[in-house]
Amino acid sequence: MSAAAQNSGGGTVLELERVTIRFGGLTAVSEVDLAVGEGELVGLIGPNGAGKTTVFNLVTGVYQPTEGRISFDRKPHGRLRPHDLTRRGIARTFQNIRLFGSMSVFDNVRVAMQLHRRFGFGEALWRGRLAAKAEGDVAGRVMELLEIFNLGRVRDELATSLPYGDQRRLEIVRALATRPRLLLLDEPAAGMNPTEKAALAQLIVEVQQRFGISVLLVEHDMRLVMSVCQRIAVLEYGRKIAEGTPQQIQKNPQVIAAYLGKEASDA
Amino acid sequence: MEKLMNNGGSNGAKRWLLLGLVLVAVVSAFSGMINRYYLGVLVEAGVNVTLAVSLNLINGYTGQFSLGHGGFMAVGAYLAAKLTLLFGPALPPALQPVLFAGALLCGGMGAALAGLLVGVPSLRLRGDYLAVVTLAFGEIIRVVFQNSPAFGAATGLSGIAPWTNFFWSWSVALVTVYVVLALVHSTYGRGFLAVNDDEIAASAMGINPVRYKVTAFVVGAFFAGVAGGLFAHLKRAINPEGFNFMRSIDVVVMVILGGMGNTAGVVVAAVLLTLLPELLRGFSEYRMIVYSLLIITLMLLRPQGLFGRSSKGGRL
Ligand SMILES: Nc1ncnc2c1ncn2[C@@H]1O[C@H](COP(=O)(O)OP(=O)(O)OP(=O)(O)O)[C@@H](O)[C@H]1O
Ligand SMILES: [Mg+2]
Repeated sequence: MSAAAQNSGGGTVLELERVTIRFGGLTAVSEVDLAVGEGELVGLIGPNGAGKTTVFNLVTGVYQPTEGRISFDRKPHGRLRPHDLTRRGIARTFQNIRLFGSMSVFDNVRVAMQLHRRFGFGEALWRGRLAAKAEGDVAGRVMELLEIFNLGRVRDELATSLPYGDQRRLEIVRALATRPRLLLLDEPAAGMNPTEKAALAQLIVEVQQRFGISVLLVEHDMRLVMSVCQRIAVLEYGRKIAEGTPQQIQKNPQVIAAYLGKEASDA
Repeated sequence: MEKLMNNGGSNGAKRWLLLGLVLVAVVSAFSGMINRYYLGVLVEAGVNVTLAVSLNLINGYTGQFSLGHGGFMAVGAYLAAKLTLLFGPALPPALQPVLFAGALLCGGMGAALAGLLVGVPSLRLRGDYLAVVTLAFGEIIRVVFQNSPAFGAATGLSGIAPWTNFFWSWSVALVTVYVVLALVHSTYGRGFLAVNDDEIAASAMGINPVRYKVTAFVVGAFFAGVAGGLFAHLKRAINPEGFNFMRSIDVVVMVILGGMGNTAGVVVAAVLLTLLPELLRGFSEYRMIVYSLLIITLMLLRPQGLFGRSSKGGRL
């Protein structure tokens, strides 16, 4: 039925059914159908203002759709709030970096692990042996994640003092710390140089395989999107105008007219 | 202090708390040697440390703007005083500390309940709006006591036992500092700072901002209530006017002067601002003007507070 179910062995993780959201008179997302399968890496592209970030905000519960339905693991979102959905297994990064500015690199990741702790408040106060062990485990896992992204050496730096590219990667680490099953990346390569971009592409695939998660990727860098995604959906003015494999999308005349053509002439 | 409260070797912090309590006990054993008047000021400083450090959890670490501390303090003061007035006279002296501790605890819990009630509007309100609501709440509390014959109405309660001494005041201050630091330095408690930094990012990390804000209110209010109980048993008489919004402002000034989200700074500021008016007694009627000018000067010179936020994300 859905493209996701065909493409991957597992079931559908995320499903949007005719999702629409209007802000006053503006229809930012219009009747979009989209599915992400288990372990799948899906791209979401389109010109500026097409509604990509809005789709992320809908999937993470920041906005409620005006019409249509979103479900995760076959369970409808309903009116769940963002932190509930994170608990269910949806994590994200932000297009305009939103790291915790008063905290170190280490703490930015550490705080994203609190949602799986059961006795947070009591442990924090009593600080018994169990609490010490739990905090030790958390610290270990934080460092493990940071090392994968080569950020262990800056663990004590203020997160916002890092170079731009590192901040973007730190956002991915922080999202992974919530132990997601679906990771939404909003322009993770923005502001990176070509070397960093190439490394990031590799990292995204590595992370996706290592953690066995699904990824929905919004990115303007076409080489990156084409190289890592198994499937790509294209938005324009809030509508999905095409969906298919990277090869299909590259050849799609509608997509070339709306987006890729313009990119090519820009370059 | 930073290293102490950090994750991992967590028993260190508890040991420091015990050491601090022992130290307070020793000092209080020798407190007879200190001039009565100065001792009174020191005891009051401890109460103010408790007030300021607990408000810092709400205003500093969690980034809300509460002007409700005077109200929370009133709840604690009235409850505790009423309890010791009721049960104190009949009690053998040996049991008085037990009653006192129980009364302080009840006062704290009553204030925490009030904190829960005010914390709920913080679901929707931010910044100035929250400040106005908490301010109004404080005034309502005051008016309620003013009109309750059971609590002495406008004259308040008097003849309260003078049980607040150096030991009680500074033990409570130490425990407050410990609780706030232990909280905000834990993995759980980094959530308070996360909510302050960026609510949207925090909720994307599975942190429930509302929960954290209300928790900050409840914990902060609890200690304000305990401080109120201490205050009542220090002054021996309380009346509604003693808990008007100026009281809340005084505590806010301590937090701002010490540096929002900087517990060490706030402790120093609370002590300084308790001592300052006393040191300025020589200026008699100009005292409050000099005091205000000093605060204005300090804020102009160091807008981030005496100590500011410590860098590298490890705010004390
Ligand atoms: N909260 C909002 N209120 C009003 N309009 C909004 C809101 N959020 C998004 N929009 C509008 O919805 C449209 C889609 O915006 P969106 O940010 O999703 O685009 P995008 O595809 O992510 O673009 P870009 O590539 O520039 O990031 C834009 O016209 C935007 O102005
Ligand atoms: Mg966008």
